[in-house]
This record gives sequence, structure tokens and C-alpha cells, in this order.
Amino acid sequence: MKTGDSGFITTTMDRAMEWARSNSIWPLTFGLACCAIEMMAMQASRLDVSRFGSEVFRNSPRQSDLMIVSGTVTKKMAPRLRRLYDEMPYPKYVIAMGVCVIQGGPYNQGYSVVLGVDRVVPVDVYVPGCPPTPEALTNGIILLQKKIRNETER
Amino acid sequence: MENKGLKEKYIELNMGPQHPSTHGVLRLKLLLDGETVKNVEPVIGYLHRNAEKICELDFYCDALIYFDRMDYVGAMNMEVGYLEAAEKLLNIEPPERVVWIRTVMAELNRLASHLVWAGAFGLDLGMLTPFFYVFEQREKILDLFTEICGSRQETNYMSIGGVYQDFNDKIIYKIKEFTKQFPKKLDEVYNLLAKNDIFISRTKNVGILEPEVALDYGVTGPMLRASGVPYDVRKAEPYLAYDRVNFDIPISKGKDVLARFVVRFEEMRQSVKIINQAIDKIPDGPYFNPKARKSLMLRLRGEGDVYARTESPKGEFGVYLVGDGSVKPYRVHVRSPSFKNLSILPYLSKDVLIADMVAISGSIDLVFGEVDR
Amino acid sequence: MAYEVKEENSKDGRKVLRISKESLLELMGDIKGSGYDSLSLISTVDFRDRIEVVYHLTNSRTEEMLAIKSETRDSRMPSVTSLFESANWDEREQYDMMGIIFEGHPDLKRILLPEGWVGYPLRKDYDLSKVQYVNMDDEGNDRVSFDPGDGW
Repeated sequence: MKTGDSGFITTTMDRAMEWARSNSIWPLTFGLACCAIEMMAMQASRLDVSRFGSEVFRNSPRQSDLMIVSGTVTKKMAPRLRRLYDEMPYPKYVIAMGVCVIQGGPYNQGYSVVLGVDRVVPVDVYVPGCPPTPEALTNGIILLQKKIRNETER
Repeated sequence: MENKGLKEKYIELNMGPQHPSTHGVLRLKLLLDGETVKNVEPVIGYLHRNAEKICELDFYCDALIYFDRMDYVGAMNMEVGYLEAAEKLLNIEPPERVVWIRTVMAELNRLASHLVWAGAFGLDLGMLTPFFYVFEQREKILDLFTEICGSRQETNYMSIGGVYQDFNDKIIYKIKEFTKQFPKKLDEVYNLLAKNDIFISRTKNVGILEPEVALDYGVTGPMLRASGVPYDVRKAEPYLAYDRVNFDIPISKGKDVLARFVVRFEEMRQSVKIINQAIDKIPDGPYFNPKARKSLMLRLRGEGDVYARTESPKGEFGVYLVGDGSVKPYRVHVRSPSFKNLSILPYLSKDVLIADMVAISGSIDLVFGEVDR
Repeated sequence: MAYEVKEENSKDGRKVLRISKESLLELMGDIKGSGYDSLSLISTVDFRDRIEVVYHLTNSRTEEMLAIKSETRDSRMPSVTSLFESANWDEREQYDMMGIIFEGHPDLKRILLPEGWVGYPLRKDYDLSKVQYVNMDDEGNDRVSFDPGDGW
């Protein structure tokens, strides 16, 4: 973006859209397991995530942009998760929170856990940890905002 | 529902697995007559993570991390539950200092667990404000945990025959500081909820549970005590240092959702009382048993079977542990209180409004890591 | 009493009774009458040639515990749901995990794993290397297959 001399801004339409989109991410209220409590902590007092423009947790997938997969995805849950993802409107993003979601975590030798949610839905940002601290998840959201604004270093 | 003509009058509705008031991944198959619930069928297993099977594949000490993640809001109490069984099976006696440290930690985590419940229960009934109040206090407890264990929620603090790190004076001071300011803040949250007319009318005389029915369904914990049965494992079969501290078991004759709310808050006040006594009584000494230290931990062998019951924030948490003389457990089976408490939901939700059913399921205090394991 | 009860020692001082599965129901009825009014837990242990079923009961007045052990070699047990309501979900769980058929249970089906899952995971001979995949049909019912292309 460029600031002109007489107080106006020139930018492309795409840039403006990306900027607006990145600062109003509405996550889906979708708690799966342990990480969901840390996701709640991120939203609650002290670590208020609304400082970064994603305060409104929506209960319906049709109103949300971001799915934070917080907790182990089991085989029984995976088809339901896929359906929720399909119900979300474009553009949509996914954050994989915790090692269970990334590769199965401590449960990966078992029989009923999906070894990584990226087998079910495409993932934008991975946040490792068991469970990740709310600060780490906030960092994940900031990373996602950068990705939406095309500012990530590759 | 065998009458075909009747069935057409009713609506079948699916609630969950993703729903804001099912506390995780519970799915309820509802049969509705207008807004009245005619039948509920809970469908669980969406978080079945095969913890019991994996425990059989690992060493005795490794099973702890799966117990942490069962009741993930009250991880310390899960650890205590497992260690009560494992230490009996492996004949390892924890030193006196460890016993008191564990008591303090278990009670701190009971506070954290009940606080999360209070916040989520408020959300179920449409009250957002208490949520922020309780999480402020919970963060303070988690700060203490971070300092003692190095982790916030799934602490993995205790180990067979000891704890991971010793208490020092700074920690004891900080815990005292915390308990000093806590009761006042707790009253604030209590007043926010209990002095609200809407809250009272949403909870009073809703979901009445008679004590005989509760026992028949195997309901334990605050649910049972709110029905007037003074059954608390901390008194019935004292473990840790609970027989050496003074505390009361709060019971209520109300039997309804409001009674469960009041009982849980009174329990928090009692927990503060226990912490205040226990923190002064921590004796000097080692914080681990040398028989189960470091690599020796991997060589522990146990034979026979034991059952240990403890009082987790949700109710009676039992661990049935079988050893075959090798270094790995032969069978681990968990009595999870949430699983039993959830089984009463169809009984309580007969002919109530959907909104009341949400209040009832909120009052059960469900944690799905524990229901499904 | 027409049945034979053997008292056993346990490692942690619990009272343990052993009974054959034929007279289990009768004993449970008597025990319930004597004050043990809450069934805490039904556990099963697979010893390869037999499966041991352990019932833990609590007396809500004296707050004591009692364990009753029984065993089965053909994976069939009498259901105690007629005596204790809480046995309903417990027996479903054990059917799901260990494959014990409780005769007389009102609604014996899988509770934790999806309907159609092959095998009983907590049995010692369960093969963990055979991966099963779950998908959902339009009705919302689970479908289990061994084909990785169909489901997750």
C-alpha cells in the first residue's frame, strides 16, 4: 500500500480484500479434545485473541472462515469433520492444533486414530505441542493472517 | 415408539457431534414432540483414542501420559488415580513428602476443573460473563503448574514413587498467595450466577435425580452428592493425605441442576481449605522413591490385580490394573465417572424442553477424553 | 444357597469372591439384597484361553467395595442389566472392546467403535497391523472397510 500526499491510499482491490479478510477471521467453535480447552483459554481473558481480529467464534460452519482442529481426530470423527469442512464457505482455512492432529501424537500406534488431519482436509498452519499453549495458537493465527495477506516468507 | 402412527408425529433431530453445548464430541439423537424431548440416545465414541490398548504396549511409567489426557481438565487427579493402582501393584511406597505434594496438586487441579465447568455451564445457559472471570483464576492455577511442572495442562508431573520436581519456598509462597485471594473471587463468580433470577429459574427443579436411581445408574461425584448421598472416596477410602486434613463433604437435598451447581462451588471452598492445611504440613524429605528412580523405573514388575478408586472432580475414578510379571501392564481398565454419569442423561431428559436438556447435560460435567478414552 | 462361592485373597486387601458364570446372577441378586447397591465397574481380562470378568460393587451405606470374579471360555456371559441399570453401558463397552456377548442385554451393540468394525481390539490376538477405515453414508451411519480409498 502507498500513502499519497493528500491523505489517500492507493492499493489494489485484491490487497484491500486480503487485508480485510485477514483481520476478521471467524473460527468455528469446534473442540475435539484436550487442545480445545487451550483454545478456550486463548479466547478468554488474559490471552484475548480478539486483539488480532478473530474474536467471534461461530457455532455454525456456514458462518466461519477458519477451522481450528483442536484435538485427536478419530476414525469415527473424520467423516464428520470432512462434512463440516465441506459446509464452510470459501475461502476457508484450517489450523492443525497439537501433535495428535499433525501425525497422531501419542496415540499413533493405536487402531482408531487418524494419523494426521491432512489426510482428511487440507491444512494451512500446523501448531505443534501437546497441547500447544494459547500463545502458540495465537502465533498460528498471526501466521495464517500473514499467509492470507501473501506475506509469508517462502 | 413402536406405534407407527405416533412416530410420524415426532421429529428426529441430530444434535452434535459439533455443537456448542455438547462439551466436545457428544452426539445426541433426539426424538422431539414440538420442543419437548421424548427420547434421547447419546452416541459416543467420537474421541475413542484406544488409550487402554496403548497402555498395554508400553512400560508402567509410560501409561501416565495417557491418563493425563483422559480427563484433560483435571490431569493431576487422573495421575493420582493411576499411581494409586500402580504403586500398589508394583509395591512402591511414595515418601511422605510426595504424598502431601500430590494432595496439594490434586486439589489445585480440582479447582481448575470445577472452574472450567462453571464457565462452560454459564455458556450453556447463555451467560458469557462468568466464563471470563473463571478463566482468569484458572490461568493463575496454570501459572503455578507451569512453574512447578513445566507444563500447563497435561502436566505429567507425577511418576511412580515420586514427583518430577520438588516444591521450593517460592512455590509454596505463591500457592499461599493464590489461595488468599481465591475465595473472594470465587464468591464473585458465584454471585454472578446464583443471584441471577434467570439462572435460578433455568436450573431450579430441573433434572431431578432421586438418590436410588443415581446409585442404580452408578452415578458418582458431585452429581450423587447433590442428590443427598454423602459418598466421597476421599472419606470412604482415604488415599494420599486426605485422612489427615479437615474438610467436609458438601451435600444438598435439592437433587436438581441448581443443587449440583451449589455443591460444586462448596467443594471448591473445601478444596481451598485442604490446600491451606496441606501446604503447611509438607514435611522435609526426598521427593522420590529411590527404588523407582530413572532407569529403574523401566524394570518395575508387577503381578496380580489391583483396583484403586479415587475421587476425581467428576466422580469416582477407578483403575483396574492387572500385571503378569512382565515390565508392561497386562490390562488397564478405567472406570470413568463421566461415562457413568452420561448414561443417566436419557433418564433425566424424558419430557423436558430442549433448553432444559442442555442445562442437564451441562450439569453432568462431561469430559470426552474420559468418556471415550 | 445353592451355589459355590470361593473367597480369594487379593493384593490390595479387597474382598474377592469367585463364582462360576452359571450361578453369577443368583449371587449378584443376593449381594444386591445385602446392601451392595451400586455396580461400579465391569472389567474383562483376556487370558487367551479364557476371559475373566470382574464386577466391582460398592455399598453406598458402609462405602465398602467388593469384587466378584467369574470367567468364560465361550465369550458368553449372563447379563446383569436386570439387577443394575448401570450394567447397560458397561456391558456394551465390554462387548465392543472384548467381544463378550451378554445374554439378556436389551440393546447389545457397539458403543465406542463404529458399527461394523471387525474384531475386538482389547483382545490379545487383535491384529493392530490390519488398518480399518471409516466412512459415513448419507444417512449418517458409519461404514467400515479395509480399503484405504474409502474413508479415513
